[in-house]
Parts: sequence; structure tokens; C-alpha cells
Amino acid sequence: MNQAAVQLPLPGFEQASGQWRSDYSRQVAGEKPVRNRSGIEVQPLYSPRDWAGERYLDDLGFPGQYPFTRGIYPSMHRGRTWTQRQLIGLGTPQDYNVRVRRIIDAGATAISLLPCCSGFRGIDCDEVDPVLLGTCGTVVNTTDHMDAALDGVPLGTISTAMNDPSPFTLLAFTLGVARRRSIDWRSITGTSNQSDYISHFIANHQFYRLSLPGSRRVLLDHIEFCRRALPNWNPLSVVGQHMQQAGATPAETMGFTLSSAIQYAQDCIERGMDVDDVLRRFTFFFDISISFFEEIAKFRAGRRIWARIARERLGAKDPACWRFKFHGQTSGVDLTQQQPLNNIARVSVQAMAGILSGLQSMHTDAYDEAIACPSEETARIAVATQNILRDEAQLCAVIDPLGGSYYVERLTDQMEAEIEAVIARIDAAGGMYKAAEVGLVQTMIGESALAFQEQLETGERKIVGVNCYQVEEDPTIPPAERPDPAAMERHVERFKAFKRERSQDAVARALDALARAANSERENVFEKVVEAAEAGVTHGEMVGCLRRELGFGHPLIIA
Amino acid sequence: MAPSPSPIPLAQRLRAGDPRAVARAISLMEEGGSAAAALHAAILPATGRALTIGFTGPPGAGKSTLVDAFVAELRKSGRTVGVVAVDPSSPLSGGAVLGDRIRMGRHTDDPGVFIRSIASRGHLGGLSRSIHHVVDVLDAAGRDAIVIETVGAGQSEVEIVDVAAVRIVVNAPGLGDDVQAIKAGILEIASILVVNKADLPLAPRTVRQLKAMLSLRREGEADVPVLETIASEDRGVAELLAAVDACATLRPEDAAARRRTRIRRLVAEGAAGEMRRRILAWDDAAFLETLARAARGEIDIDTAARAAMEAQAGGVPLPVAVPQKADRRAG
Amino acid sequence: MIHAGTRPLRVLVTKIGLDGHDRGSRIVAAYLRDAGMEVIYTPPWQTIPGVVKLATEEDVDVIGISSLATDHLIVPKMMEALRAAGLGHVGVVVGGIVPEAEQSALAAAGVSRVFGPGAAREEIVECVTALGQKSRAERVDDYSEANP
Repeated sequence: MNQAAVQLPLPGFEQASGQWRSDYSRQVAGEKPVRNRSGIEVQPLYSPRDWAGERYLDDLGFPGQYPFTRGIYPSMHRGRTWTQRQLIGLGTPQDYNVRVRRIIDAGATAISLLPCCSGFRGIDCDEVDPVLLGTCGTVVNTTDHMDAALDGVPLGTISTAMNDPSPFTLLAFTLGVARRRSIDWRSITGTSNQSDYISHFIANHQFYRLSLPGSRRVLLDHIEFCRRALPNWNPLSVVGQHMQQAGATPAETMGFTLSSAIQYAQDCIERGMDVDDVLRRFTFFFDISISFFEEIAKFRAGRRIWARIARERLGAKDPACWRFKFHGQTSGVDLTQQQPLNNIARVSVQAMAGILSGLQSMHTDAYDEAIACPSEETARIAVATQNILRDEAQLCAVIDPLGGSYYVERLTDQMEAEIEAVIARIDAAGGMYKAAEVGLVQTMIGESALAFQEQLETGERKIVGVNCYQVEEDPTIPPAERPDPAAMERHVERFKAFKRERSQDAVARALDALARAANSERENVFEKVVEAAEAGVTHGEMVGCLRRELGFGHPLIIA
Repeated sequence: MAPSPSPIPLAQRLRAGDPRAVARAISLMEEGGSAAAALHAAILPATGRALTIGFTGPPGAGKSTLVDAFVAELRKSGRTVGVVAVDPSSPLSGGAVLGDRIRMGRHTDDPGVFIRSIASRGHLGGLSRSIHHVVDVLDAAGRDAIVIETVGAGQSEVEIVDVAAVRIVVNAPGLGDDVQAIKAGILEIASILVVNKADLPLAPRTVRQLKAMLSLRREGEADVPVLETIASEDRGVAELLAAVDACATLRPEDAAARRRTRIRRLVAEGAAGEMRRRILAWDDAAFLETLARAARGEIDIDTAARAAMEAQAGGVPLPVAVPQKADRRAG
Repeated sequence: MIHAGTRPLRVLVTKIGLDGHDRGSRIVAAYLRDAGMEVIYTPPWQTIPGVVKLATEEDVDVIGISSLATDHLIVPKMMEALRAAGLGHVGVVVGGIVPEAEQSALAAAGVSRVFGPGAAREEIVECVTALGQKSRAERVDDYSEANP
């Protein structure tokens, strides 16, 4: 939305502006252009010539009003601050339970569960070298495991985010636990955080378990099931995080993510779902990098574009569908292993960018996130960072406090144009599914990652402690926290015993039903996943079955 | 540098199928030199048994995925397999990222499949110079089938004719201007044409176009089947193997003839290389004078080259006065 | 007759274990390619026997393992398996995030070098080149006349 230079009525503007320009050039002779991560050239000064607000109502409006550039709710953080949702997961379900209850006791209203990497790979704990188990997340392979993890956790009143890629076994286990505790499924709130299989396919092979068509099928079944049985659950979170971490620029990330959202919405519509019913539950998940103003402009532009897409392109009539609800996580990519305490400063800046962007929920990284799974102390500092910004720095007192800044508004317009160009390129390639399938997105990301790396090499981009201001000694690297090997061994042994002792008939029947559903257009695969979880089928068995029936996903890697 | 392995025991080990010996022998072939030549001579009698199958076609056609599925099909039929995957080298650095493994993931635990990635080293988009020798190593090692996958971007794909008994040209719908992506010349070498990604909407059109192009071929040429596959779902792959087997058994005399041609080409290539090496290292006074005269334009390059070659080959000293340009024109 | 020439160093760039983040390994692969090496690049999640088979068939001089989560914890087992398969001459480097306390375990297992985040291109290329040359010089080929 580049606006033409404004004819300003201000008397003396031209002369003052010209004077400044010549004074500036005298002081800063031969200056090289400064660019942000998305490649937009940043000027030394912005003025009413760059943004004069004459399209205020069309481009910005008021908070809670279309196109929501200034925020999706009328009161924003002044009414209700963002949800503090720290991702946690380590060790056995019992280890997780100890930590999650401490968080709840400290007043948290939302929790999350990060499964062990073996879970992301779609295998059970008895198929992995035990030394790796639980080092990056919690080992949850059965309904029993989830029951132990959520012991004493008030399901039904607390919001639960599951880092749960297709076929969403963690949610299935949670529903099994709810049934055991006679908790109405309709009261369960939370989000399937890793449902965006396209982003996994592109950027995070860790999650990639099923073939692309298989993942597409399971996601649609999942959304359909959740809309039917779990009215307060967000079945889809469209994730920009993986792509930005893999090297996409902030503008590319927003463009790709919105293109994915368009793809998912169109798939749902094609399936016969009601667009208003589905879009109401779409949420987004982003990395917040340290490129402060650029991130703020990225989110403001993203809100504006999504509102337009949802209303005009996808035809949603309910304003709730136009709202761009997003969770932000401060980017671990910006954190350094060198001088790790510096990361506290980095996370503060990232979190400020997120808050000033008007996010709905946030995870702040612990300063040792670049080195290890955060310890309890470092996790506490991460939460404290949010509290300090909210309560001491008063960042919530004013809604969209940077709105109206010549720079931020101009940058928002420029980011919007960049993002729109990315979306147009993906559209031209036939949509996000196709663009990912043929590797277009991966190629674009690879080029951006390499370009960024080259900027680091040449020193054009600086990272303190990495390519400048290095110090000899890093005295403060905290030791990595590893799960107790004896406890993990017992966990695996109990799991093996469970598999021996459960009703093999029920397991066989449930797996059979799952396989049949995978091959039938009329049945819902996720519904069978939920039933299988209750029958005692393990995570790895369900993923294995669907891999056989729907195909294993070969990662597409553009070297 | 460690001393080169002695070729005779290495040959014995590789003929026994020892994978480490096979791998080392391939490296030795890529390195070249007299040890490689001796090894090649030692294993040559044990070659000629394997079924050699070449896959070529434009980038994006899904060759690696198809090869992965095809190898699985070969394994199902009980055959051991060697795969040679050729990727281009960077013209600038000479380095390469050999990424065919990315789509050939399902054979990582199967000793019946031996995969070797080869950089084309200056043969832009085509076959590496040493590919013949590499294939011979796998052949001598007792692999029943050898699959050669090449990037179909340059002109030297035609070399695959010499290496592979059965040549499969892979195409996919929607690659630029469809069959235009298949270069002229490639169709002539194809034993089988494959349209991969046959579930794409434009697939029938691509099949029609390929059949139309085939119909322009001369009469009497062997029929070239056009098959459809969806490699990512293993569909059409069993049919492809059946077609390959049919093609291989069709004309045994072809195999013998191709083998003779191949040996001849190897000899020619070897001779050219040897001559090049000798002439580059030659500093005989008479030869230097020949070069000087060529530099002054008194004789042309071809004449100097022929004279040098003959002198080297026959051990005959260079004539004191080579024919002058003017003389030649007059003659 | 075959032309004799120097053969570029061959490096296997791969990931073992459970993590799939591959941005770092891709960038390193590009560095090594640009330095004239032949890089065999694989998807993540290779098994230890899989790495042994790959390294054998591809006759690599150096293996680079990228570990961004905790996958370095099984690298000592991989070193053991390489030695058992007669690949003790192959140099091994690890890139990624390895806590200091666990770096010494890798060194003890025979890993030549651990590159942390921010390692410079030249540093990586130089180290891999030196290791590759050492690997070629030190490899013991038992295919001699005396030891058929």
C-alpha cells in the first residue's frame, strides 16, 4: 500500500526537510544503505511525507475494527493481557507433572506439553536409544502416560496447548483422560499447536511423519472432528515459526503462513465445512526475532492482510473469523551459546516486539535455550521477563503504542507489499500445498538462509559474542539438565509391561478400524485415533498404522 | 597419501562382494592412474553379467524417487542392486552436493543395495568420465542389476547409451513446456519412456505428446513403450520392471554389440587421455620448435597435433620440416 | 588407461537420532561444496548402522554430524560402530549445540572437533580439509599382496 508522496500544507516543510537532508549528508557521508532482514531499505528518518494518515480508517481503523491493524480486540492488553504459555516438557510424565503443577500453583491459566523427539518421529519409547529419551520433551505414548502427566491438572478449566503433530495422539490421550475423569469434552480448551503439516514438510522434518496427501486427509478429519465434538478447541494453528527458523525472512514467513492458512481454509471449504465455523478457530504461531521494528510491522501487516483474505477472498461473514489471533515465541535462533546471559537481553527485546505487536499469547525463551532444555531457574527468568515488561514497564497501558509512528506505519505498508508479493508467488505456483510439494518454498527459504549467513560472515550483520565482541571465556554456561536415567528405564520397562498386559484383542480391533478408516472416504481417521487411544493403542502403533495406510512422508530437501 | 591398494587382492575382495573393497575400488577408478587401469583389467573378465539400467530425464521429473521405488521392486524380485547416482559438480569450485540419498531412504539398512553418489566432474549434467569403470566394479562385485541415474540437463546423457542396456527416459507433466523439456536426441536413446507423477492433471497430455513424437521415428526401430508411474506411491513400478526385463531379454545380440562399442570407446577415451598427458609433459627441442612455429602461424594447430601424435605414437622423430601451410594448400 | 588426477575430498553430512532441524547442516554442506569437496547429503534421522553403511559405500574421508538437540549423546556409539566396521580412519566432526560438559565425552570417543553455533566458514573448511587429508594418509588398506 505504497502511498504517493503527500502534498503537505505545512508551511516551511520543504525547506526544513531539505535543510535536514543536507545537514545529515554532511555528517554521514558515503553511507551504505541499511536493510532489514526482509531486504527493505530503512531510511534514516521518516516524516509525514512517508505516512500522513489520510487513509487512517481504511488501513488502520480502531482496535477491534476491520482491518484490525491496531489490534483484534477493542481493549487489547489493557483489558486482558496476553496468555503466558511457556512450552515445557522433559523426562517422564511424572517429571512433567511435578513441573506443570508448580506452574499452575504459581497462577498459570494455560499450560503446554512438548513431547519427546521420539514422539515427533512417530515412534514409542521402546524403539529409541534410551539415552535420548526425554531430553527434549516428555515421553507420552499412551493414555496412561497422559493421565500421569496431567495428574491433578484441572482439565476443563485450564487451557492446554499440545505440541501435537498429525495424527494428534496427544489430544486423543487427553480426551481419554477426560473420559476417565468424567470431564465433558465440550469444556476442554486449548490448541493443537503442531497441526500445520505443510510447515513441517517444508522446514521441520522432525515432525514429518506421513505423506503429504495423508497429512492433508488427517488434518481435515481432525478439524471436522474437533468442530463437532470439541467446540472450545482450536484444531489448527498455522505455524510460521519453523519457516522463519529455517531461514525465511520475516516477510516471507508471514507470506508463506498466510498462504498456508488460505490452503487449509480452501481445503475445509472443499470438504463441505462452513467457512465461518472453521475460520473462527484458526490461530497462528510465529517466531519473534530480534529485528524489533520489522517484527512489529510484520504482525501489524499480517493482521491487515488476514482480515482482507478472510473476509474478501474466503468469504467469511463473522468478524471473529477476520481476527488474526497469534501466539508468539521469542526466537531461539537469535540466541547464542556464547555469553549465554546476554540472551536475557535478547529475549527482552523480542518479547517487547511481541507485546507491542499485540499478540494473544506468548512464550519467552529461557536464556539457555540455545544450549539445552531450560532448567527451572532459567525458565523462571523467562517468565519474569514477561512480568517485568507487563507490570514494571507498563507496556500494556496503551493499545498499539507505535501506531501512527511515521516509521512503523511506513514499514507496515512496505512489509504488507512484500508479504502480498510472496502470497502472489505462491498463488501462481498453485497454492501452498503445491509450492511445498515441488520445493519452491524450500528453495526460497534456502536462498534466504544462505544470504543471511553471508551477511554474518561479512560482518554486515552483527551478533554480539559471535562475530563481534567475543570474549575468551564463557564462564556462565549452565550444565544441561538430563532426565534421571534410572527413572527413564523404569518408565520404558513399565511401558513394555503395559503392552504385554493390555487387551490384545481390543488393540487389534482398534488398529483394524483405524486402517479401514484410512482407506475409506466416509470415515473420520481422527475419530478412530481417539477410539484407539482409549483401547490402549500406543502412539507409535497408531502412527505406524497410518504410515502403512497413508504413506510415509519422504522429506523433500533442496540441497 | 597412503599407498594405493594393490589391485589383485582388491579385485578378489570386490569380486567376493566385500562392500568396503567395492567402495575403495570405485574411488580408485575415480582417481584414475595405473593402479586403476590394472584393477580394471583384473576385473574386466568378471563383467558383463549384470543388467544395467539407466534413468535420465529433466530435473523435477522425480527420477530419484522413481529409482528408489524401482530398486525396491528389483529387491522384491530377489536381485541384488548397485546404484550409481550422478549429480553435477559446481563448475566454479569443482565441489558438489550429492543429494540423491535424500530420496533413496528406504534401502539404508539393506545390504542388497549398494548406492554410490558420483559427481559429474566437468561433464556438465552428464556422465562422469569414470562411470564405465564404476559400473564395471559393481558388475564384477556380483550385483545382479545396476541402476545409473543421471541428471538430464546437458548433452552428454547420450553417453548413457554406452553404459546402460536399458535406458529409461523419465518425464513428468508440467515441467516447463512439457516434452520440450526432453531434449532432442534423448528420445532416440530411450528404451522405455516413463511419465512419472501420472496423477497430475496434465499427465494424459504429456503421454499423448510423447506418443506423437515417437510416431515420427523411422520404421523398423524397436517399439518404445510409454509407461505411467506415480513413484511416490509405488504405482506403475512393477509394470516398469516387467518392461525393463522384457527389453533386456529381447535382443541378446544388442548386448554383445553394445559391449564391443563400449570397449572401443573406452580404448579411444583412454588413448586420448594418455596422448594428452604425454604431449603436455613433452619438452623435446624439436617439439618445442613445432609449438613455436604454430604460435607464429607458420603451421596450423591440427597439423601440429597430428605430427605430435604420430611422433609420440610411433616413436618416430618429428620431421625437421613439417609441411608448410602454403604447400598443403598447393597439394 | 585412465587419467590420473586428484580426487576431491568426500564428506558425509548427516544427522543421527531424533532431531530434524537441518538449516545448519545445509549451510555447512554448501560451504564444503564451495571449497571443492564432494558432500554426500542425507535426510535427518539416520541410524548408526545406516551411517556405517553410507560411509562405507560412499568411501568418505570425513563425517560431519549435526546435532541441535541431544543427538550428540549417541555419537560415541556411532564412533564405536565405525571403528568396528574398519572405518577408524574416517575423521568425525560434530556441529551444533553441545554443552561443554558433554564435549569432553565426544573428544574421548574420538570426535576430532565440535563446532558450536557461529563457527566461521574458514574454520570449518580448514578443519575438514585437514581431517580429510589426514584420513586419506592414515587409512589402512589391507588389500596388499601380503594380506590378500
